Amino acid sequence: MLTLEGVHVNFGGVQALKSASFAVAEGESIGLVGPNGAGKTTLFNVISGVVRPSGGRLDFRGQSLLKLPEWKRARLGIGRSFQIPRPLGHCTVRENLIVAQRFGARTNDPQRIDEILDILNLRDKADSDAATELALTEHKALEVGKALATNPSLLLLDEVLAGLETTSKRAFMERLGAVRDRYKLAMVIIEHDIPTIAALCPRVLVLNFGQIIADGAPDAVFRDPEVIRSYTGETTL
Amino acid sequence: MKHAILGAALLAAYVGVPLLFGGTPYVMGLIVAALTIAGVALAWALLGNLGGMVSFGHAAFFGVGSYTSAVLSMKLGVPVFAALLLGGLGAAVASVAMLPALRLRGPYFALAILAYAHIFQILATEMTPITGGAGGLLSIPRFPTLFGLEFGGKTGGYVIILTIILLSAFVYDAVRRSAWGLALKAMHDTEIATRVIGVPSTHLKAAMLALSAFITGVVGAFNAHFISFLEPDYAFSSTWTVLPIAAAIFGGYRTVWGPVVGALAIYLLDQLVFKPILPHGHQMVLGVLLCAMILLSPGGLLPVLLRRRRSEGGRHAHA
Repeated sequence: MLTLEGVHVNFGGVQALKSASFAVAEGESIGLVGPNGAGKTTLFNVISGVVRPSGGRLDFRGQSLLKLPEWKRARLGIGRSFQIPRPLGHCTVRENLIVAQRFGARTNDPQRIDEILDILNLRDKADSDAATELALTEHKALEVGKALATNPSLLLLDEVLAGLETTSKRAFMERLGAVRDRYKLAMVIIEHDIPTIAALCPRVLVLNFGQIIADGAPDAVFRDPEVIRSYTGETTL
Repeated sequence: MKHAILGAALLAAYVGVPLLFGGTPYVMGLIVAALTIAGVALAWALLGNLGGMVSFGHAAFFGVGSYTSAVLSMKLGVPVFAALLLGGLGAAVASVAMLPALRLRGPYFALAILAYAHIFQILATEMTPITGGAGGLLSIPRFPTLFGLEFGGKTGGYVIILTIILLSAFVYDAVRRSAWGLALKAMHDTEIATRVIGVPSTHLKAAMLALSAFITGVVGAFNAHFISFLEPDYAFSSTWTVLPIAAAIFGGYRTVWGPVVGALAIYLLDQLVFKPILPHGHQMVLGVLLCAMILLSPGGLLPVLLRRRRSEGGRHAHA
């Protein structure tokens, strides 16, 4: 469904992405890992339209995304979350989802909103102010919820588990699994916690200095000496 | 209860005020002037609240609306009420010229709009064959008599401007309560977060600019037919920007009705109370009042009044 070919991004003299190429199939779950500054969020920004690439090809279901603004990509079915939650200000949790649904999915389906609230365990907070009355886990869930309300077929999740303690993380992982199974979504998940990625994703991509250095099953990828070196500077863990 | 209050307010506005002040054209004229400022103040607040834009250039929309309506009715014989709407449309079209400024934020946007306003004033001055140049337009058709009701007089003008304001407030409130309103409010804090969920933020802001310009243009057109005279220095005067901003802030620009309450309060207080006491420099008192309001209640007058009403209601309920 999504194809990147030779995508590169330059920020001044810094090459944030160097000829990134990979494809995501319908319903596939991919873990995206790499050290800090490797270019993971830049890759999400390129796919969602927040950053324009300096070159390369980017297609979604046969259509080039390169000239499309963020909001058109969302309407095509690309949903994303932000690493630092960005709830819509002056809105309740439910209103956040309503805005996402009305504009992203261009539908008015209160039942689906309720379903998303339930699946993300946000029903009790539906009428709370999204910016000021949520705990971290709820903020992260709302990020996923907003993306889900746009009725996506590809979900890009940027460190939605970061900062959560073990119990919350496990519960959140279960919710993500339920989301994926319920809506038959393709997912790309940025995450530093390797066991989490291995549990959720049958395929892992590793970025380092803007380059994809490994692509495959978690077991093979995390034994790859180049991957180990990128994280530790050593060839063995 | 809410409907009863609304009905009583409408009855007071449409019947009570004309009965009370219809016989005193001076006071009625002042009320019409205050409502004219209120119309622009409401449109200005709409742009700020929903579009997140602070405009110093609403005089441009006021002027374009007034000239469009006046020229269409004088030179092409368009009926005055139709010209009124076309005046609003003209102002909305003029706002298209300001679209490049939507890329700017905060003070940069405000200054760009201010510059645009001057361009329109220069155009009105230089396009003499159409606008009459610096000499302006005289004998602009007044509002006609319809169904036996004379709209050309002070009371008729009052009914028209009151209706314009009520309809504008209704549209403003409807937009504010819609998904558009939610998205627009959310955009102020984090525009990118709204764009990635499918909100075409620039389109929405442009729509708010056009709506605000349309309302201001209709009010400007009303004024042109009410006073029956126009010249560029008057129609594009910065007064049509400054007074509405002061009124909106004084009344409470975050609310729909605050700008209207503010315009009525500051203009009528100024003309009926401060001016007779201080014929020269009465505006100073207004300035002090505005400063006091900003310091003591940054939300403006209407939120204070509403809070007081609620707390009194609460006391009665406990008693």
